[in-house]
Amino acid sequence: MAAMTAALSCLGLGKRYGDLVAVDDVGLSIAGGQAYGLLGPNGAGKTTTISMLVGLLRPDAGTVLVGGVDLAREPLRAKARIGYVPQEIALYPELTGRENLRFFGRLFGLPRRGLAARIAEVLDLIGLTDRADGKLGAYSGGMKRRVNIGAALLHRPQVLILDEPTVGVDPQSRKAILDGLEHLVADGMALLYTSHYMEEVERVCDRVAIIDHGRIVADGTRRELVSLVGGADTVELVLDGDVGAAFEKLRAVEGVSEAARTGDTSVRLLADGGRYLLPSLITAVEGHATVTATQVVEPDLEATFLHLTGTTLRD
Amino acid sequence: MWRALLTVSALELRTRLRDGTAIVIALIVPVTLATLFGLALGGDDPPLRATIGLVDLDGGEFPASVRREVTAAEELKGSVTLRDLPGDREARRALDAGEIGAAIVFPAGFSARVGAGEGGDVTVLTSAGSPLAGVVASAVVDRISAVVDARTLAVRAALLAGVPGDEVKELVERNGAAGPALTLTGDPLAGGKVDLAVYYGSGMAALFAFFVVGASFRSLLTERKLGTLDRMRAGPLAAWVPVAGKAVVGFGLAMVSVCATWASGTLIFGSTWGEPLAVLTVLTAHVLAAAAITMLVAARVRTDAQADGVIMVISFVAAFLGGSLVPLHSLPGPLQTVALLTPNGWTATALAELAGSGAGVSAVAGPVGVLLAIALGAGGLAVLGFRKGMLL
Repeated sequence: MAAMTAALSCLGLGKRYGDLVAVDDVGLSIAGGQAYGLLGPNGAGKTTTISMLVGLLRPDAGTVLVGGVDLAREPLRAKARIGYVPQEIALYPELTGRENLRFFGRLFGLPRRGLAARIAEVLDLIGLTDRADGKLGAYSGGMKRRVNIGAALLHRPQVLILDEPTVGVDPQSRKAILDGLEHLVADGMALLYTSHYMEEVERVCDRVAIIDHGRIVADGTRRELVSLVGGADTVELVLDGDVGAAFEKLRAVEGVSEAARTGDTSVRLLADGGRYLLPSLITAVEGHATVTATQVVEPDLEATFLHLTGTTLRD
Repeated sequence: MWRALLTVSALELRTRLRDGTAIVIALIVPVTLATLFGLALGGDDPPLRATIGLVDLDGGEFPASVRREVTAAEELKGSVTLRDLPGDREARRALDAGEIGAAIVFPAGFSARVGAGEGGDVTVLTSAGSPLAGVVASAVVDRISAVVDARTLAVRAALLAGVPGDEVKELVERNGAAGPALTLTGDPLAGGKVDLAVYYGSGMAALFAFFVVGASFRSLLTERKLGTLDRMRAGPLAAWVPVAGKAVVGFGLAMVSVCATWASGTLIFGSTWGEPLAVLTVLTAHVLAAAAITMLVAARVRTDAQADGVIMVISFVAAFLGGSLVPLHSLPGPLQTVALLTPNGWTATALAELAGSGAGVSAVAGPVGVLLAIALGAGGLAVLGFRKGMLL
């Protein structure tokens, strides 16, 4: 029943490329006024899933309902309810910001009479009223990102799907974008959000799914997901010496449940009672490397992600 | 959905006009090249001085009349000469060697059979290398056919009326159907001045049609790279709208291009490409074929840069093999056959026919049909490719 009334839902979504299973039995449901995060490492199936949700890719299995409308049966009605913000700046650099919005507004069937007013509303929403008539090619990365989002809002969609909307954005624009998205959700819009920035997902989304190898391996509120890690802490170590050999030693230390390299000289471990395990960790790398810095972090979404996927989000 | 189509078309047209490609590729370059080729190489087509072989196995009044009329016709003086040849085989050999442009073969007993009311067949041998000679020879035979038909009818009527067989000939000739009253007027040459400027002008038009229409399908791949195509496809509009919106502009600009080249050739050189409606039909069919082929390229390659390269290669190969750069009759025999594998070959054939004969659309129904078949075939494959490549 929830699927019938959700702003966006999918069930049993699957996609194969030959022998490769890109997406397998993915299901999710997003209500109006809810922000849903989709997290996964590169190649986990996020983009394939989103492509099927917005109608760019035909699924091999499963259904997508947008406000109760079957995307496969009535694609135009369903798509009219979706605002899609692609990862790249999908706009025309030779046009102004306003001209870009006008083009997509006309394309998406906005009535001619109300188009200028709606464009003005969207420009106000994304904070670009003063710069609307400059060439997009001359905009900063953050301004382009905001127009990229604005173009998806013109036709007043019920659900906004954003694929990495803040990549390459300065902190000020990122804050403006996240503030704007929270405002939209507060007004009742459903949001599906993917990002490499865990803190963004933690801030914007009230529900998160973690996808790995094409399957959703966990789905819940932030609190529910973090509880999956139990009492494990995240331990960050900076090493000097043979980091590769030291990493292998650290993985083998009793109590370390997951380990990932996060840089040339840094590793991240998930360990029960992490702070008490530090002496063992330092001893383990002796002869290969020395520990030059340590940090122990309480369980968070990042730790859950590492626990479930065995990798960090930016791998 | 039409509004969405117009929106895509309007942006495509605006982009093409703004970046200058439309003006340069569609108008300036083809018109300039056609003019330069016309000035440098233009002039009467060599077939205007063609020789027509006459094989007289009959020895009767019809071949004699043809020889007399062709020699006497003012319209043909200095341009068409007759050469007597002993037989069909010799005529074919002379034709293959390019010594004659066409041949008329009267079989043995032809005049006698016509005199007896049995009718008869005259064979015309033609060569693609000398269309005008073929036109003249065919026109002569058309005249003969008319006379033969009239004569046959009169003889049969006389026989049915009970006139004795040995008196029929005398009776028929005395009453108006007097022998093979063959007359040649200027008709066979109406619109028949095939200037090389026409060949090169139509060749440039055919070549640049590929570039002009191909640029629109190429931009589809640019939009895919830019991400705007996916944004469109994710929006509430039919999947065919972006492709059709660009195709409309590409087709329109290509039509403007070929027509401008045609008009410039006519104005600058005073040469005619033939009956306007027929020429327009051929050019439209050619642009459709070029559109479908370049659409197929866009459907099969991954990037706009690849599309540029492939479209350029296909355009030039089709132009060279198809007689757009070198007149078909100047190509070696095997290449003249290969030319018919390209739309340019059919377009060049059809336009040469129109320029040489002044005929209407029906005369080029075959080439136009082939061009449309190419358009349908390539277009169908392109649609399948677009679906696979997620452009539709």
